[in-house]
Amino acid sequence: MNIWMIIVGAGLITFVMRLSFIYLHGKTSFPAWFHRSLRYVPVAVVAAIVLPGIAMQSGVLDVSLNNPRLLAGIIAGLVAWWTGNAIAVLVVGMSALWVLQIWV
Amino acid sequence: MTFEREEFRAGAYALLPAIIGGVPYGLVAGVAGAVSGLTPLETMASSVFIFSGIGQLIVYQLIGSGSPTAVVLLASVIVSLRLVMYSAVLAPHFEALNMRWKFLLAYLTTDHGFAASVLRFQKTEDPHRRAWFHLGGGVAQWLSWQPFVAIGSFLGTQLPASWSLDFIVPLSFLAMLVPAIKDRGTAVAAAVGGVVALAAAGLPFRLSLIAGAIAGITAGFFSDWRRK
Repeated sequence: MNIWMIIVGAGLITFVMRLSFIYLHGKTSFPAWFHRSLRYVPVAVVAAIVLPGIAMQSGVLDVSLNNPRLLAGIIAGLVAWWTGNAIAVLVVGMSALWVLQIWV
Repeated sequence: MTFEREEFRAGAYALLPAIIGGVPYGLVAGVAGAVSGLTPLETMASSVFIFSGIGQLIVYQLIGSGSPTAVVLLASVIVSLRLVMYSAVLAPHFEALNMRWKFLLAYLTTDHGFAASVLRFQKTEDPHRRAWFHLGGGVAQWLSWQPFVAIGSFLGTQLPASWSLDFIVPLSFLAMLVPAIKDRGTAVAAAVGGVVALAAAGLPFRLSLIAGAIAGITAGFFSDWRRK
């Protein structure tokens, strides 16, 4: 039941945000600071997911060579930087994790 | 409103790159839903309700880590703030339309769709043609997104846990993050967002994502404030 509350709730939130000014029929302009902060929303949110996702193992911070996720994440990050290709990042990152999990 | 075939097709065609790129992204989103414990039905329902790659991935990630409902919803608010800006920019173009059209076009607005429509609307004055253009792009993207999320959601439940498929979620975010770091402000926002989220990992209710996001946005904002 809780899952369905989240599914419907997140859907409603996303829709209301999309509809907001279209419904209120616009000609509204935002203060400059709002525009400027929006620039940083995607990178901040995404980084707040990525870092714990690769630097933590079973809920504990593990910055060491014993953490295959961290190593695979660093390799995938380099691939992202060099190629900018999302599919290459996924393929290399997953392969690296599988190899490292056997190895480490 | 009479069907403007030409505009509808132009809208769909303008989003072709986004649609092709959306294939692996849709698969990943579907797998992420399954890995976070959602049934294919729940993943599909969320994909229809939310219809946003990043919005869905955030929700799956937080559900998978056992976050309380309020935190998942708060995170949804933060990631969809940009949609309010899209809405404000599109609003004057859609002003002449009736409510049914406004609801439909708003629902189908995506990052790529917004960009394509804003470019096109500089050349088209007629509100009906604009509406059909936006609709064409939105429908094409919707119809191509949902089947791949569905395939991913079935695949994700079939594949064994030893494959560590949950790692696809941070990886797909990493693939978005790196190209988005373009200057000092975005680099500061990413670094502070990530480090604060890590440092705040012990916070109750999985609030670390929210803490990281707010800290990162604030840091990015002030990092280029000083320059201006």
